[in-house]
Amino acid sequence: MSRAGDVARDALQAALRLFPWPTEAGLRRVGSPGPESPVLITGNYDLTVRRLLRALRGLDAWVVVAPSSGINVWCAAAGGHLTTHQVVTALKTSGIGSHVHHRRAILPPLAATGVLGREVSRRCGWKVRFGPVYAHDLPRYLAAKAHKADDMRRVRFGLRERLEMGAAWATPTAIVLGALAALFSSSWVLPVIGLTAALAFGVFLLYDRIPGPRRAIFAGAAAAVALVLAALSGGGPAALVTAALGPVAVTALLTFDYPGSTPIEGGSHFEERRWQITLDPDRCMGIFSCWEVCPEGVYEKRENPRKVVLAHDERCIRCGACIVQCPEDALFFSDEKGARIEPQTIRRFKLTLMGQRTIDSGEAPAEASDTA
Amino acid sequence: MSSLALMRFLEAAPHRYDAGMRLITLGRVTLLHRLLAEVSVPRPGAHVLEIGCGTGAVTEQLVARGAVVTALDQNPEMLELARKRLREAPNGSLTFLESTAAEIDGLPEAGFDVVVASLCFSEMSESERAYVLKAAFQRLRPEGILAVADEVSPERPWQRVLHALLRLPQAGLAWLLAGRLTKPLRDLAEEVRAAGFEVRAEQRWLLGSLTVLQAERPG
Ligand SMILES: C[S@@+](CC[C@H](N)C(=O)[O-])C[C@H]1O[C@@H](n2cnc3c(N)ncnc32)[C@H](O)[C@@H]1O
Ligand code: SF4
Repeated sequence: MSRAGDVARDALQAALRLFPWPTEAGLRRVGSPGPESPVLITGNYDLTVRRLLRALRGLDAWVVVAPSSGINVWCAAAGGHLTTHQVVTALKTSGIGSHVHHRRAILPPLAATGVLGREVSRRCGWKVRFGPVYAHDLPRYLAAKAHKADDMRRVRFGLRERLEMGAAWATPTAIVLGALAALFSSSWVLPVIGLTAALAFGVFLLYDRIPGPRRAIFAGAAAAVALVLAALSGGGPAALVTAALGPVAVTALLTFDYPGSTPIEGGSHFEERRWQITLDPDRCMGIFSCWEVCPEGVYEKRENPRKVVLAHDERCIRCGACIVQCPEDALFFSDEKGARIEPQTIRRFKLTLMGQRTIDSGEAPAEASDTA
Repeated sequence: MSSLALMRFLEAAPHRYDAGMRLITLGRVTLLHRLLAEVSVPRPGAHVLEIGCGTGAVTEQLVARGAVVTALDQNPEMLELARKRLREAPNGSLTFLESTAAEIDGLPEAGFDVVVASLCFSEMSESERAYVLKAAFQRLRPEGILAVADEVSPERPWQRVLHALLRLPQAGLAWLLAGRLTKPLRDLAEEVRAAGFEVRAEQRWLLGSLTVLQAERPG
């Protein structure tokens, strides 16, 4: 695609970030890959695939695009759209097996909530390992013979990511609210759009840094600013009331899925927050798969005895990746009263606690009677 | 009004799937399942492989006709509902597998009389479909039957236009609500032929947008 076309597509996808954008699943070549070239797996979200291909420019590699319903890797893995099954599908049906001699594939660690490496290898003979979180670290990772430096393990939520999420929420909310405003008065359209967009960026840039009852503080401050602007521009009573109440409503709307849109909070409801990541140290055999996949740096490795510790459990966002991956079932969610969500439940139904599914810890799912 | 664009939305919530599908097809999905089962079970005791069984609506009809069924789906929630629905199936008549369609390549060669897939191929990528159709061919004994029901683009231009117009709002709604898209298949019969089958019969429903296709592995 032309450079201008690429930029336009980037912009459109940045604006529509909250919606899926599927691209054809299957095999892509980067450079002139050969039988020993690395194999990288990702989901079929168009923006991800294009970013990955761009990050790999100048290298020779195979990219296998798995059908993740057009959703980005992390959300797809947490929502049950990128699981062992989709990875097996892609490895079997893309034809990659006939192009390479080896059977090693690299997955983004954010897929760890959905994809079980040992299941993939049992089902189709490929060994998968989790590479760096971000595609732009891949060249360095591959050059170091698949050695993962510590700075490749954590999810970031820096300025760039904050602006991206701001744009992702600003666009659809501004369009919908702008259209609603147009029903009342055409002169309201621009102020409503401007205010909504400003609030969206404000939420993602500032919200987590506000101490105390942040929703009230944020909404109050936004309403005050809107009121001053409305008064200065000589608005009538209707405009003043809207300026006071509008920001409160828009803030409620924007912060509704804030935890699901950022990697800095663990769960939007009280129901989710009551569950804590829990380690049974007696079961831990020091395999460190949790440490390998945790995107928040919750775990630290210890020797003598060789085990992990939950060194920073306050950072946990309840993504479930560590629980899914632990071969010893040493990790689970538990609450203060001792109720537990077992690893099998999390694995089978992708009950990650990121607002994707409702939680029902009482009723254990019927055991699988199948032999696959 | 009826197109299958909302199917993906319904799938996102398996417990709503059956009722929802009846609604968006104006009740015809039940007829479709029955017809599919009719063409799929030539005689009691026939061995049938069902790909993408979902909540088990077709599976139920197959078992009722006396088939010995292996039904697979990759979605554990869907399978859970299918298991519930077919709790009473006679012993030994039914095996469920939680696996992806491509994994039928691990089942015995020439081990089945019939392979059935209802509304499943349209959810696959082209390369996956080609792989699964080939693997299905090899699972069938000579003269075995492939029976597929799926969403396709209508053949006649006026139907295509009308169908696209009717489908668009539903597709948009499904995209917004569930972030799901499906694409009707352009030429299913051709893809089936490419896998080695001979197409025996094809019936079209819903403005030609839904096909029931029967093909045979030549003897
Ligand atoms: C629209 S539903 C149809 C269900 C059922 N056959 C019916 O007609 O009511 C499609 C089903 O196919 C399954 N499916 C889609 N792609 C699949 C694949 N590659 N492997 C296994 N199952 C798949 C989905 O999980 C879903 O249950
Ligand atoms: S410790 Fe928390 S954040 Fe880290 S992988 Fe486990 S659930 Fe996810």
